[in-house]
Amino acid sequence: MSINQILPFISTAIMLGFTVYVFQRFFVRRNLAFLYWGIGLAMFGAGSFAEAYLSLAWNKWVFFVWYLFGAALNAAWLGHGTLNLLVRKSWVHVVTLALIVGSLFATYLMLQAMPKLDTAVFTTDKPISEQYGTKVLEAGQTIPADSETISTTYRGKEVTAVRGLLPLGTPVRLTTPFFNIYGLFTLVGGAIWSAYLFWRKRVMPNRVIANILIAAGALSIGFASTLTRLGYGQYLYFGELIAAILMFIGFRYAARPQPDEVVVQETIPASAD
Amino acid sequence: MPNKTSTNNKSHIPPNSLLFEKIIPALLILLGVITFGLILFAAGVLLGFVHF
Repeated sequence: MSINQILPFISTAIMLGFTVYVFQRFFVRRNLAFLYWGIGLAMFGAGSFAEAYLSLAWNKWVFFVWYLFGAALNAAWLGHGTLNLLVRKSWVHVVTLALIVGSLFATYLMLQAMPKLDTAVFTTDKPISEQYGTKVLEAGQTIPADSETISTTYRGKEVTAVRGLLPLGTPVRLTTPFFNIYGLFTLVGGAIWSAYLFWRKRVMPNRVIANILIAAGALSIGFASTLTRLGYGQYLYFGELIAAILMFIGFRYAARPQPDEVVVQETIPASAD
Repeated sequence: MPNKTSTNNKSHIPPNSLLFEKIIPALLILLGVITFGLILFAAGVLLGFVHF
């Protein structure tokens, strides 16, 4: 096994421990933020495991899990947990409903795409993130090494495309950016905003650092995914491992009790007792 | 009026700390800029301005 085949299994193990830890906190604290984070982390873990599996062998339902949970939904659910802490609950409930409906709709579209998968192009030589989608070649673009092309009609034009597992224009692919923009905005933006608020108020230094670790972890996946699309797929698994480690440390650090509790003498009117 | 003792569990950021005075603000700005850039990039992909 190569290092790129081992790394996703390590990420999966970390995410599994992380998911159990967050769900335990949900059952103790009954805070919905932990439930949403737990769902997002479980999806992240399932996506990592699917990615690890697909680096060794093909299975269309493992691909289903990888695309739906790993590529489309997990960031949105993670970010939704952060949103739950930052905005009024009435708004969160509306967005939760929209997220559930959106997730079910994406699941339906993914099920619709399953019979159309072009499985002949699958190879264990490349990360699944480099071969899942059929991509139109623009004028002047060179064909990537080890890729197969097709000529087809797309949006009324004759185009040449690099073959991928999901055909051109598969509707489920159109939903992914919505979930990922929402996830990036709420998870990373929310963590940066929380860190800034604590820093500005000069309190909870552990939460300032924890939120920066969570933001950096989430961004490392974004970077690794972008590098993959630019042809540097060898960094993807490393980026995911870094993300899993940074976010786990961030969550643990945020929950750590503060050692320097300050005892304050307050003068309180007797009537207030 | 009776005195009441309570515990304030909000620990405070240490004053004159290089980490919290210089490094953290710089990191926050850097992460914010990267996030903004990635959101613009993702929006560009969504709207078809960026072919990805």
